Amino acid sequence: MNLILKKDQLNHLLNAWRQDYEVYAPQSLQNFTHFLPLQDGFELAFDKAHNTRIPPKALFLPTSEALMKFTRFGGYEQIPSETTPRVIFGIRPCDAHAMTMLDTVFEQERYTDPHWQARREATVVVGLGCHEPCQTGFCTTVGSGPFNHAGLDAILTDLGETLLVETFSDKGDRLFAQLEMASVDQSVRAIEVQQAAKEKMPIAFETEGLKEKLDQNFASPYWEEASRSCLGCGVCTFLCPTCFCFDIVDEAQRGERVRNWDTCMFRTYSLEASGHNPRPSRVERTRQRLSHKYTYWVDQINQIGCTGCGRCVRYCPVGLDIRAMLRKAHQLPSEVAHA
Amino acid sequence: MPDLDALKAEAKRILIEGVVDIVIGFKAGDTPLHPQPAFFKTIDEVDQLAFDGLCQNNLATYLTRFPKTQKIGMLVRGCENRSVNALVFEGQHPREGLYLIGVPCEGIIDWRKIVAQTGEEVISVTEQSDNTILVEAKSGFFTLEKKTLLHESCARCIHPNPISADVVIGELLPEGDPALARAIVASFAELPLQERHAWFRQEAERCIRCYACREACPMCYCEECFVDHISPRWTESGTTPAGMQGWHIVRAFHQTGRCTSCGACERACPMDIKMTYLTEKLNDDMRRKYNFEVGLDATTPPPFSTVTLDDKSRFVV
Amino acid sequence: MSETPKLVLFQCQWCLFSPADQDWVDNQLSENIHLAKVPCTGRINPLYLLNAVQGGADGVMVSGCLPEQCHFKTGNIAARRQLEEFSDYLNHIGYEQDRIRFLWLDLQDRGIIQKELAAFEAQITALGPAHNLATRATETAGGANA
Repeated sequence: MNLILKKDQLNHLLNAWRQDYEVYAPQSLQNFTHFLPLQDGFELAFDKAHNTRIPPKALFLPTSEALMKFTRFGGYEQIPSETTPRVIFGIRPCDAHAMTMLDTVFEQERYTDPHWQARREATVVVGLGCHEPCQTGFCTTVGSGPFNHAGLDAILTDLGETLLVETFSDKGDRLFAQLEMASVDQSVRAIEVQQAAKEKMPIAFETEGLKEKLDQNFASPYWEEASRSCLGCGVCTFLCPTCFCFDIVDEAQRGERVRNWDTCMFRTYSLEASGHNPRPSRVERTRQRLSHKYTYWVDQINQIGCTGCGRCVRYCPVGLDIRAMLRKAHQLPSEVAHA
Repeated sequence: MPDLDALKAEAKRILIEGVVDIVIGFKAGDTPLHPQPAFFKTIDEVDQLAFDGLCQNNLATYLTRFPKTQKIGMLVRGCENRSVNALVFEGQHPREGLYLIGVPCEGIIDWRKIVAQTGEEVISVTEQSDNTILVEAKSGFFTLEKKTLLHESCARCIHPNPISADVVIGELLPEGDPALARAIVASFAELPLQERHAWFRQEAERCIRCYACREACPMCYCEECFVDHISPRWTESGTTPAGMQGWHIVRAFHQTGRCTSCGACERACPMDIKMTYLTEKLNDDMRRKYNFEVGLDATTPPPFSTVTLDDKSRFVV
Repeated sequence: MSETPKLVLFQCQWCLFSPADQDWVDNQLSENIHLAKVPCTGRINPLYLLNAVQGGADGVMVSGCLPEQCHFKTGNIAARRQLEEFSDYLNHIGYEQDRIRFLWLDLQDRGIIQKELAAFEAQITALGPAHNLATRATETAGGANA
């Protein structure tokens, strides 16, 4: 359904939602933007930064969350899942697309994560398309796009004075039920804006045959070269909207079992109890990060596990650029190299 | 700005003459704001060498990754040189196995200060000879004063010149004023306790525990960090207040008498957390109480590894 | 907060030469004082103090031997340097310096530790509870020898 929203009515609408929902939207927090619940007199920060620093996956999979409480005498209780109805407003299509990939991890048939599921079900996701795409992003290269619908209940397209709202689900319809239908003319203009944005995005690297190249070059010396300046910190993975790895730890002193973000870039991630580490150095860990996104995920869900948000490029402390790494990987020889 | 051709020539010379096996320097990055650390093994590769104010990493952090038998050439600025000295003192690499190409440093430009003025979408950055920087961004062209863009720890740098480099390329710069470093510690210490704590809590609370600060720091080379210990578990593992504060408290304290105030930790942080106000406090104490500065030579032990009976301590009866 | 402050006592096992004093510390400490016996003050990692502080201790006392009387020669002097700096540093970020106290005991001292603990407790009671860095609620903080 295509609806029309005047920009000066936006704040009014957001305030109306706050009656029934907790509304999250990008707001300034010190030097960067963050999805925070709207308070009275809020100020949206869409013009400050293209993407929030921390991806909105953190609203579904918090950096740390307690799963259960226990006492030293054997008693325990599970912590129930949150079910506050929420609206996430102004999420970028890359981040929303990433959420659908995480669904395949946390909402598998046999192993469903109740916390993730409860939060997903209670949340309406309203996207804001990127009519002026960002420089570090490469969404069109990896099969997403500046107006991609995946994972969204509704998406907004900026038409200057007004915003065109496209809804894709009942949740979205309900949220925008007050609005008037858009005219055909407006819908056509929106398609033009969307098309123009897509065309502004250059193709950052060739994805055709990339998976095969990476598979064949598992033992290539290229990985040593690619990882040489990598510090081995978790910036790229923690700020990645599709990275989901976690670690479950018993905080014995506090009596809580918690789930924390973890990353394949850490030495301790793959360290086994025996002391053996199957990924002993940054070489293997860098290969793991790239291969997981560009080959293993392709095997599993037939999609590249990256939506091209560009955070890892922007915030890497040593300026490593995944696009350049993959361009080089694509140049690698095709013959199967066995070490 | 250092003379790039002279740097390249020297790097090539030491590779050809076999003085070193590898030269650690910088090359132009794939994105305009981030030059990358680079490792040159052949003279052809040296042609990629680039060096400007945006090179934000402390190259000494890579030193501990190489076997001690390897001969390493390294581009060093003032802070990197002192980090190398401290690492040599701690037995991480023999000084004989190092060839340091010194570059007097005019300060590192904080890319965050550029994007604060130009917006995130930067297309190119050029350093100009008159101490200004020309930035081309999507929002237009900007000419910015270099002085205003320096990273805070560079603005109060005391020793911009490499102290014990084998060769120095470029004019030596005047030493910085220790009073500047003292001033930020003193002004923070003057705040009431609750305000100091509020600041600390507010900064620590943003932490996502990615440990970029740890990995960017040349002195954080432990095989196993205290936060990775399972038994005993020294701090909480997650982003709870106890975990985040514990990490920041102890990370900085482990640098007492070892931190060279290079600020690499702060520049690496993806959450813009201020950290140098902690390490500066400890450095300042080391300077005042024990007259010790890290890395001025590779032989003086830091205060915590020496003991004397005549410390002036409030705990002595 | 309850009126009695939570204290943690780190005690060097050599510093109480008198068996009566040691027996008092081992068996008769009041409920609000948590005892951690260490082989030497030099064994005290600053992380121990942090653990006490984060666990909600309102005051931390370290008792060790006088300089030059250390069983291990210089353990106490090394501890003095590190722990003093650490308490100074904690003060920088919001845990009052007065909440960490060091007590150096001579071999001839008798009955000093009881008086010092009482005085310290009074001082901490006057300061009130320490909330700033007490970020980890534990079941055990403060309880007698828990």
